[in-house]
Amino acid sequence: MVKKKIGVASLAIVMAAGTLLAQTADRYAFPFSRSQLRNGLQVILAQDEALPVVSVAVAYRVGSIHEPPGKSGLAYLMEHMMFSGSADVPPQQHFNNINRVGGNLNARASEDMSIFYQTVPSNQLALILWMESDRMRYLEINEDSLEQTRKELLDVMRQRKSADPYQENQFSFDQLLYMDFPYSHSLLGSEDDLRNLTLDDVKNFYATYYVPNNAVLCISGNFNKARVKELIARYFETIPRGKDPGFVPEPFKYTKKQVIKTEENPLALAPAFYMGFRLSLFAPNDLYSLTILDYILMRGRSSRMMRRLLNPDNKIAYQLDAGIERRRNRFAYKIFVVANNPFWINQCQSAVFSELDKLKSAYPSEAELSKAKNMFRRNYLDRIATTQDKAAFLCEEYFALPNLDELPLELEKYMKVTNTDVVTVVHRYFTIDNSLILNVRTK
Amino acid sequence: MKKSHILLGLILSAVALNAAGQERYRRVPPPPEPHQELKLPVIETKPLTNGLRVSVVFRDDLPMMSLQLIIPGGESASPDRSPGTASCVAHLITRSTQLRSASDIEELLESIGGSLSVTTLEDFTIFTFLFLDDYLDQALNLLGQMILKPDFSEKALKSVKSILSLDYLDREKDPEFVAYRHMIRLLFKNHPYEKMGFTRDAVKNWNQKDLLEFFDRYYRPDNAHLILMGRIQMDTATRKASGVLNTWQPGEFSPKPLPPIIPPQKEKICFIDVPMAKDCAIYLGSVFPSTDADIDPPSLSVVSQILGGTVNSRLFMNLRESKAYAYFAFSEVAFNKASGLFCVRARVAPEFIYPSAQEILKETRRIAREPISISEIDQAKSYLLGNFPIAIERLSALAEKMSEIMAYDRENDYWNKYYQQILLVSPEKVFEAAQKCFLQPPLVVIAGDKSLLVDRLNEFESIEVYDIKGIHQYTTNKEKQ
Repeated sequence: MVKKKIGVASLAIVMAAGTLLAQTADRYAFPFSRSQLRNGLQVILAQDEALPVVSVAVAYRVGSIHEPPGKSGLAYLMEHMMFSGSADVPPQQHFNNINRVGGNLNARASEDMSIFYQTVPSNQLALILWMESDRMRYLEINEDSLEQTRKELLDVMRQRKSADPYQENQFSFDQLLYMDFPYSHSLLGSEDDLRNLTLDDVKNFYATYYVPNNAVLCISGNFNKARVKELIARYFETIPRGKDPGFVPEPFKYTKKQVIKTEENPLALAPAFYMGFRLSLFAPNDLYSLTILDYILMRGRSSRMMRRLLNPDNKIAYQLDAGIERRRNRFAYKIFVVANNPFWINQCQSAVFSELDKLKSAYPSEAELSKAKNMFRRNYLDRIATTQDKAAFLCEEYFALPNLDELPLELEKYMKVTNTDVVTVVHRYFTIDNSLILNVRTK
Repeated sequence: MKKSHILLGLILSAVALNAAGQERYRRVPPPPEPHQELKLPVIETKPLTNGLRVSVVFRDDLPMMSLQLIIPGGESASPDRSPGTASCVAHLITRSTQLRSASDIEELLESIGGSLSVTTLEDFTIFTFLFLDDYLDQALNLLGQMILKPDFSEKALKSVKSILSLDYLDREKDPEFVAYRHMIRLLFKNHPYEKMGFTRDAVKNWNQKDLLEFFDRYYRPDNAHLILMGRIQMDTATRKASGVLNTWQPGEFSPKPLPPIIPPQKEKICFIDVPMAKDCAIYLGSVFPSTDADIDPPSLSVVSQILGGTVNSRLFMNLRESKAYAYFAFSEVAFNKASGLFCVRARVAPEFIYPSAQEILKETRRIAREPISISEIDQAKSYLLGNFPIAIERLSALAEKMSEIMAYDRENDYWNKYYQQILLVSPEKVFEAAQKCFLQPPLVVIAGDKSLLVDRLNEFESIEVYDIKGIHQYTTNKEKQ
C-alpha cells in the first residue's frame, strides 16, 4: 500500500525527454535520462556507481518482420555480420578487444529488434563507443565475410534442426497464427533464402536499418556524465543520418475462428500440440492482466498448469512451455505440450482447457494473485540486475513503450491487476473461437 | 577538359582527405582512462549466543536479498560406507520439513519471489535463498524449520532417493559430468575427497541412521555461518536470526583432520563409456596440497587464464580456432581445504579425441616448460582485474563468491587484497606455478560413446576403459596389437 503511494508520487517528477527521471523513493525504479542527437540517434544514460563497471547497448529497430519475401534470415545474418569487422576494427577484433580487458559481450536479434551489448571496466568505455560507432558507420560487408557468415548460419540451422525435432511444426504453427509473411516466418529464415542472399541484399539491408535514426544507444553503469557526453559527440554525432527506413506494418486484424490442424512428424519422439490464443488487445490494461494470468497459469513449479501436467506423482506431460509472445504490435498466448506417453496427448489437451475453464468460473485467491505478482516482481528485478541487464532493458522498453518516460509507472500497472481483471481476460481471450491448435503426431 | 578533370579530382581528394583527417581519432583504439577505485562492500561478522556466526553485507541497489547458511559438513564427511550422505541430507531438509510438505515449500518460495539452491562441496554444504527483501522473516522462518524441524521420515527419504536417482540417471547421459566425476575419483583415490565422485549406486545405501547421525554431528550453530546480503544492518540481522534460530543447540564437534593429498605418480589416460553421447568430453586434472607453500594462488589464476581462461586463451585458440577439433576448451583452478585442483575441460567431436588429447597435453607441457611472454602475462592479469567487478555484479554471483570466501576464511587474503595480489604476480611466480601443476604426471579422462570410438581408442598408446559406474573393463595397449 505504501509502495503504491510512492509509485504515484514518482509520477510528479517524471519530466520530458532529456531530463532526469528521479524516482529514488521507489526502490524498483532507477534513474535514467534520455536525449536525441542531431542524426536521430536516441541516447539513454543510466548512472550506477556501485562498481567500476559500464555497459553499452546499441539496439536497432530491425528484425525478421522487416525482411521482404525471399530474403528471410537477413536480420539474423546481420547480427553475425556486425562482428565481421568495420573500417577501423579488423574482423573479430571487437570481441578480442573486449575480452582483453575482462569484459563480455553478446548480441541477439528478434522479430523486431537487433541488440548488441557489452560490459567492460568503466575506464574502457571509450573503447566500446569507438567500436560500436565504427560498425554503425563503416561496417565491412564483402563476399568473404558474407560467405563465412552464411556457412556458419547454415551450420546453426542444421544443429537446431537436429536438436529440436519439433522445430518445423513450430514454424507451421506460426504461419497458422500470424498468417502473413513478415510476422509468421522464422528468424533463422529459410535455407533457400539464406543461400540466395546477395551482397547487395545485405548492403541494402544494412544501409536501410543500421542507421543512427533507427537506433538507440544506452550506457549504464559507472561513468562521468560530462565525459560520456564528449565521447558520444565524438563517436556518434559524426555519423550521418540515414534515410527513413519507412517501414510501416500492414494493417492487420486477427480472424475469429477456431483452427485445428494435424501434422505428422517422423522426428517427433512423442505426440505434441501447439495451442494458441489470439490476443487482439481490446483494452490498454489487458496486457498487464494477461501477464499476471500467465504467472498464475504457467510460471513456477507451483503454478496451475505445471502442477496439473508435470506433477511428479502423475506426470502426463514430458514438456510444457507457454507464455505471451509479442511480435511488434501483435500478441498471442502460445502453449506447447509434449505428452509423456503417446496415449496421454488427449488428456494433456483436456487438462489445459480444464485449467482455463476453472479460471472462468472462480476467482484466483488473493494469496495466489500475490504470489503471481511477487514472481513477476522477481523476474522484473532479474531484468535489471546488472548494468548490462539495465542497458538491454532500457533499449527493449524504448521500442516497446509508446513513451519511455512512462517506464517508472509500468511495474505499478502490473501490481494493480485484480483477480477480477484476471478472470475478465480469460473470458475475453481464451475462447474456443479464438484458439488455434496444431496437433503433432508421430509416424 | 582534361585539366578540369584533374582539378576536380584534386578537389575531391582534398575533401576526402580532410574528412578522413577530421576523423583520424577513429583509426586507433582510444586509450583507457585511469582506473576507477573498486569499493567492495564491507563484511561485518558477529556471533549469536549459540555460536552461530552472522555476517552482513549491506547492498542497496535492488530490493532483493540473499540468505546463506554454510555448514562445515561436505561430501568428504560422508561415512565411507555411504558416500553421498552429505548431499542427501541437504536435499532432504530442503525438500520438506515436519511442518511443510514439498509442495508447501515450493509455494512459499514462489510467493516471496524466491529461489533456493543447495551446493554440497568437498568441505561444506551451502544453502542459498534469494528473495524479495520484503520477505526476510518468511525466508528465515523457512530456514529455521529446515534446521529445527527436519523431516527424516522413511517417506521423505524414499522421495529424495527417487528424485536424486533420476537426476543422476539424467546427468550420466552427459559426458562432461561423467568425465569430471571419474577424474575426481582417480585424483583423490583413497582420500576423503574421493567421495565427491559417488555414483548412482550410492543412492541405495543412504539410510535414516547415517543421515540422522550426519545431521546431528554437522548441523550445529557453533560450526555454521549465516550470511545476509541486501538492505540490512547487523543489529536487525542478529535480532531476526536469533529470534528464529536461538533454540538451535550447539554440539561438540571437532573436525577430523584431512589426510594430505598425494598427487598421482604415473601418467594415466582413461576412457568412460557413455552410450548414446553425441560428443566426447576430455578432462585433464592435476592436484597439489593446498598447504604447499610453493603454490601461489593468484599466480595459478594467471596460469589458468593464459592456458584456458577464455576463448582467447591458448587451449581455445588451438583446439577450436586453429584445428577445429573442439567445441570449447577451457581450464580452471579451485581450492579447498586440503588441495588445489587444476583442470582442463574440452568438448570435442568423437573423431578428434586422440589429437585433442595430444594437443591438451602439449599445451600443458608447453606452459610448464617454455617461458611465458610478459605481454601474455599482462593480458591475463588485465582480464582478471577487469573481470572481477563484472563477475560479482549479480546478487547471486556475489553471494556465491561471498560464501566461498567465508567458508574458507579468505576474507582478508581474497576479498580485500585480490587486486594487489594479482598485480604483484611476477613472470617467475607464474612459471613456478605452471611447473608445479604440469610437470607432474597428468591424468586424462575421456568420456564418450564407445561404439563410435573403437578405432579412435586404438590410437592411444595405452588407455584404461571403464563403464559408466567407473568399473575398470580392460586396458588397451598399442604395442600388443
